[in-house]
Amino acid sequence: MKYILLMSGTKAGVEAYHAWPKQDIEAHMAVLHRISQDLTESGEFVATQGLAEPREAKVVRGEKNGLPVTDGIFPESKEFLLGYWIVDVPNAERAYAIAGRISAASVNMPIEVRQFRP
Amino acid sequence: MKYILMMNTMKAGHGVPSWPKKDLQAHIAFMMGLNKELHECGELVSAEGLSFPDQAKLVRAGKDGRPVTDGVFPESKEFLAGFWIIDVDNPQRAYEIAAKASAAPGPGGVPLNMPIEVRQVMSGPPPDML
Repeated sequence: MKYILLMSGTKAGVEAYHAWPKQDIEAHMAVLHRISQDLTESGEFVATQGLAEPREAKVVRGEKNGLPVTDGIFPESKEFLLGYWIVDVPNAERAYAIAGRISAASVNMPIEVRQFRP
Repeated sequence: MKYILMMNTMKAGHGVPSWPKKDLQAHIAFMMGLNKELHECGELVSAEGLSFPDQAKLVRAGKDGRPVTDGVFPESKEFLAGFWIIDVDNPQRAYEIAAKASAAPGPGGVPLNMPIEVRQVMSGPPPDML
């Protein structure tokens, strides 16, 4: 069963993270790296990605002529996807356990867990 | 350059859309056609649909490190319904593909023109964070 673990945050949250002491950021990255290594070793790892900064995000709609209309203005409260992990696990509980580990590594941030549609 | 196109269109508690069956079928056929087209031109990295928001869980680590799950989300929260990861030459091409997905047919075959969030996927953390 494939699950995606989504880590989201606001622009303000991302700015606060950038203000962390360098050693704290390094420690955070090191734990996330170790989680990916553990998942690779257990054969549960599918993919992980970090996304570019929220300030670079665009929202696109199709217009009547089919041409893209882009906009970069989002409400301050909007939660942006910061990164994700895709895991292939035997059950939902295992996906929650991995999400819990990621959360513990990331100031107990909530991690949204969603199953892929078959 | 890799981009992720996100369809953040669903609200909390949402299950299968209550559209007429033929409209749902036309929507799905459109999405499958788009995926085929992107695959054929070598731009598709992956495309996935997610289970509906009524199945979503929010997980935090508790004090003992165990996962604490919750399925209660704010009414206003937008849920990811599905995403595409594409590998394209420039952001304009990513916007073009997003506009195509945006115009997928909805009830009565009318283009939904739903917003698609477009974000570049990074190959690693920014150098100043390592």
